[in-house]
Amino acid sequence: MSTFKNLFLLATLSTLVFASCQKDDVENPDDNNESELITTVTLAFTDSANTASVRYFTFNDPDGEGGNGPTQFDTIRLQASTTYFTSVILLDQSGSAVDTISNEVLEEGVDHQFFFNTTGASATITYTDTDDNGNPIGLQTKWVTGNISTGIATVVLKHQPDIKAPAPGNEALGETDVELSFVFEIE
Amino acid sequence: MAIATAQAQQPIDSCSLVLSGQVHDAATGEPLPFAEVLVVDLSSGTAADVEGQYTLKNLCPGTYHLHIMQLGYETADTTINLHASMNFSVLLAPSSIKVGTVVVNGERRHHEATTQSITTIEAQELEETRGLSLGEGLTKVSGLSIISTGPSISKPVIHGLHSNRILILNNGIRQEGQQWGSEHAPEIDAFMAKRLTIIKGASSVRYGSDAIGGVILVEPNPLRRTPGIGGELNLVGFSNGLRGAMSGTLEGNLTKVPALSWRLQGTIKRSGNMRSPDYYLANSAYQERNFSGAVGYLKPKVGVELFFSEFRSKIGILSASHIGNLTDLNRAFESNVPLVTSGFDYAISRPYQLVRHDLFKLKTFINTGSLGKLTLLYGYQYNLRYEYDKDPPLNDSLAALNLPELQYEITTHSINLDWEHTQLGSFKGMVGVNFLNQANLYSGRFFIPNFRNFGGGVYALERFIKPKFELEAGIRYDYKWQQAFIPVKNNNVLSPTRTFGNVSGSLGAIIKPSNLWDLHVNVGTAWRPPAINELYSNGLHHGAAAIEIGDSTLTAEHAYNASATLNLTALGDKLHIELGAYYTYFNNYIYARPELPPMLTIRGAFPTFRYTQVNADFKGIDLNLEYTVWKGLNLSSKSSLLWAWNYSDGDYLINIPSQRFEHSISYQFNSYKRINNAYISLTGKNVLQQKRAPLNGDFATPPAAYFLLGFNAGITVMCGKQPLEFGLAINNLLNQSYREYLDRFRYFVDAPGTDVSVRVRVPFNIKSKP
Repeated sequence: MSTFKNLFLLATLSTLVFASCQKDDVENPDDNNESELITTVTLAFTDSANTASVRYFTFNDPDGEGGNGPTQFDTIRLQASTTYFTSVILLDQSGSAVDTISNEVLEEGVDHQFFFNTTGASATITYTDTDDNGNPIGLQTKWVTGNISTGIATVVLKHQPDIKAPAPGNEALGETDVELSFVFEIE
Repeated sequence: MAIATAQAQQPIDSCSLVLSGQVHDAATGEPLPFAEVLVVDLSSGTAADVEGQYTLKNLCPGTYHLHIMQLGYETADTTINLHASMNFSVLLAPSSIKVGTVVVNGERRHHEATTQSITTIEAQELEETRGLSLGEGLTKVSGLSIISTGPSISKPVIHGLHSNRILILNNGIRQEGQQWGSEHAPEIDAFMAKRLTIIKGASSVRYGSDAIGGVILVEPNPLRRTPGIGGELNLVGFSNGLRGAMSGTLEGNLTKVPALSWRLQGTIKRSGNMRSPDYYLANSAYQERNFSGAVGYLKPKVGVELFFSEFRSKIGILSASHIGNLTDLNRAFESNVPLVTSGFDYAISRPYQLVRHDLFKLKTFINTGSLGKLTLLYGYQYNLRYEYDKDPPLNDSLAALNLPELQYEITTHSINLDWEHTQLGSFKGMVGVNFLNQANLYSGRFFIPNFRNFGGGVYALERFIKPKFELEAGIRYDYKWQQAFIPVKNNNVLSPTRTFGNVSGSLGAIIKPSNLWDLHVNVGTAWRPPAINELYSNGLHHGAAAIEIGDSTLTAEHAYNASATLNLTALGDKLHIELGAYYTYFNNYIYARPELPPMLTIRGAFPTFRYTQVNADFKGIDLNLEYTVWKGLNLSSKSSLLWAWNYSDGDYLINIPSQRFEHSISYQFNSYKRINNAYISLTGKNVLQQKRAPLNGDFATPPAAYFLLGFNAGITVMCGKQPLEFGLAINNLLNQSYREYLDRFRYFVDAPGTDVSVRVRVPFNIKSKP
């Protein structure tokens, strides 16, 4: 019987030793190791005739996909028959410091491309930037608006590592990093 | 059939009795080398030597159940009353109908909970699955299928239930990883198993809550009990993916300290990209390396056993399956060939999983003889899971760290204390208590939170055994306390606590009026607390292109299960029939219901699933037929039928296996000179389309029916006294293009094409002189 007692004691003891570790980590989930998110897309429209006039339209979902819904989803409002120079700014505001993802997109321009489509309201959109291979990225574009109307403007960012098609590009390829359909009003 | 002769040799002498004898072929009278003789009651045993001679020493007087196994022979189960040292010889009948097929019948049952449907895979059937994953190996059993994520990740499904609803006991320890995910395969080295036992149906009383669908017991051989060194070497090569597996076991028993035994075992597996008939499956390569070690000090009255195993795998996830949003998914689905294809490669790139599972086990028992047997089992498990997305972060400094986007670390301690009382008249039974303590840590993208679990259970099972019938009743109470730690804004943490407690019970009977038929009936209840993902998940599943949202107010799921199994032998032992029927009613069955409209995110629209509870039922039939046409030539047929219904929504349930049938013809050749156990078999598997699927809630209709042809052959060659076992298998012989409803990659790619495999097994045994 004493052999068994010893074995039992050994087992109980080892359990206690093992069970006592790992306390604080579990109760304090560490949010800093969060992976990268794109939380914010801002379109900045500069009137080519009046460069002091800049209009900003933003989509903002601070906690990324899932969780809480977006906190801001602006309507794009532009003047009729006007030419705008447009920049896209992508931010990651989920961490403690804001990360400008559009800079990374520019750096890896050969693997990325924006696509813009409008329905209902018309604008002619042309790329004004290029990647290292001379193909468009779409961080910089020129928008020439048509008549007063209301519709949808869709902004899509595709990640196309090693598969990016030459100009004008192929929206069907790759993984979607951004896909937003803004309400688009021409005043 | 086993025929045994025994004669008393010497008078009673406490616990130093010796049981020895020789194992013979019942047909030829030739000795059978390396037959395994197991003493079920002691969880120990021995292997016969080259002359079929076995010896079991240091036995106490008492009643023992012996289980004698040899490849190609009928397994023999027999009971002996040991009052003095005995010479006990065993005759094993050559297996005429068993080879190449899985047969379940009364002779194979040797576990405690016998009133339920139990299937054992061992010896020949198990050898045929060498090199495959645990899940794939189990699909030989009717009523079992797999839910898979491409060719490299598969999980067993019992009667349509999987993941949180079945338990896997790895070497006696309840496997604890992130089993909630359908793409989280059990972290178990399939080579370690010498026997797989599947209990179909609710088995909560003996094994605890969560065992709603059933239990899978993965068991290695008992430690070697005869002095000397033995082991085996397994080599398997597959043509598809140029996969290879190597596994070796070395075990020994010390001549000077006969109670001390040890074992070392290791496995390495590697696969390149697999190929479906028309294209390679890009990034489907994987690697696995495992090892385990055990040491035991086993005496008839007392023993202690230590076991440690480590499982590590790196699994590539099909490139085409990682998609941005619903638009991408539709595009992938509409394309006939996957949007990302590749050539052959062993390299694994993103997306991939990196998994590690450590298990430490300590088992001690004391066998008093008069009071019964007390067993204490302690288990420690550490499971680490890294999941890498397809693309590293855009931010260069983040990307340079190459951190997994999802990381989980779960640590589990478990203690089980079981007491089996000695048979009192016709009564036999056991009581037990168990505890579990678990902590989970995540980092990276939020999907499930950190949590801490404490659980405990207490049970009693009693059997009333008569020659013609058996009755069994059991009752159990389980309790679970769980606290989750969920990060919210401004570094605050929500820490909700939930507690669950419930009783489960079971009643069963076996009626065996003659050797020709028996009936097993069982009714039972089972329950499980909602799993962590069902309560608190909140996030994006990239591979599934879906957002899953938990519900923290979910209550426990209850199941009420009834099953009956009829075994029948007819036509003068030529026809064996096993007919099983089951019905399970679920109160508060938890599942992820699609929610409309799809959730708007920065990446566009994602279908959203929210966990909810409904009342549902599962009913089905498993039918096995075996027919011996003439000596050596056998036909067999297996059918698995299942119907499931969601009463609350008046709809079918998603991801329920479709009806499937498997027919095979096999021929066993007579032994000739140095050639034994030669056989060939041809198997046709017919899987119907799942027509009973919900109309909404899936991205695509279930794939079409398919028919696959398979071929198996095996032979044992004696090189002197050294047996060499060879096997050949061809899966998907006709190179069919098909997709399986329960494969998550069916949206993207066809299943693998023809796969030819060759395997070699070399058992060896060096007996030392006493």
